[in-house]
Amino acid sequence: MDYNQIIAILDRYWEGETSLEEEALLRRFFSEPHPDMPEPLQEAVPLFGYFQEEIANEAALPDMPEIPVVATSSARVVRLSPFRHWMKYAAVLLMAIGMGYAMKQYQQREVKASLAEIQQQKLEAETRMAYLETKKALELLAKNLNKGTTQMQKLSYFNDATGIITGTN
Amino acid sequence: MSLDLFLNQVVPVRQKLFRFAYRLLGNEEDAQDITQDALMKVWSQQEKMPELQNMEAWCMRITRNLALDKIKSRKYRLADELDRAGEVPAAQHNPHAMAEKNDVMGKVRQMIHELPEKYRTLIQLRDMDGYSYQEIADILELDMNDVKVNLHRARKAVREKLQNIQVYGL
Repeated sequence: MDYNQIIAILDRYWEGETSLEEEALLRRFFSEPHPDMPEPLQEAVPLFGYFQEEIANEAALPDMPEIPVVATSSARVVRLSPFRHWMKYAAVLLMAIGMGYAMKQYQQREVKASLAEIQQQKLEAETRMAYLETKKALELLAKNLNKGTTQMQKLSYFNDATGIITGTN
Repeated sequence: MSLDLFLNQVVPVRQKLFRFAYRLLGNEEDAQDITQDALMKVWSQQEKMPELQNMEAWCMRITRNLALDKIKSRKYRLADELDRAGEVPAAQHNPHAMAEKNDVMGKVRQMIHELPEKYRTLIQLRDMDGYSYQEIADILELDMNDVKVNLHRARKAVREKLQNIQVYGL
């Protein structure tokens, strides 16, 4: 092998100007023993030895486990007769009837409750009105009674005065 | 349609995704979890699949982002040399030569791990996986010129460190 050619390639390798083929050539060259290797090439021996050793170490790594791929077949389309599952439709119908009935019952209860509420309010209003009327009448009575009381007090003063006069004489 | 694309273009690269996640995380179990998560994420975004130019690069990008999120979220402790002690082959023909080689390899490995994540990933994607500049640009969401510039800088940094190892044994 022409060492000068390898030296030239190695110089270009250090400069980062080599092609993949040239780098493969260098790896091949350094993988073989060369007892009379020129000095300029010797500095690269440990580096290429390292590459070789690392590649061998990595080749000894365990394989990644296989990825299980589940074969998926397209599903067969089965046409179903609309009357095949009559119980489904019956159940749906029964549920619809049940829900309708429950709704109707609920509405009726709501109407009854609102009527009862209106009647209650009416009764409360009438009671309040009666209370106010009674209160008014009693106030009138009290007022007239107070008038009589004043007159009776005057009469009482007169009687007392008459008693005092007759008592002294 | 999406299932066909997933089976034909995503499932076959799951081992690459696993290796990529392993490089970033340094732990097999976490790498497997991240790969599974990445596959789930790819599947959940299946509507994007028909529009993508490079499905593999897209999957790699998702894997990288998930792995980096995991590293950030848990202040991830990358596997150190002690964790790797078990990886040293038991059968050694010449113990002295093998010890010397392992010593140099350990230094190179440490040097690569000490590189910024972007440089390290660039070198691994190019020199170990053999991706083209365009594919690396797609994976790392970079411009192709940025890939070339950063790869050059990464190799330059590696070369300097290799020279230090060779000359000073550092």
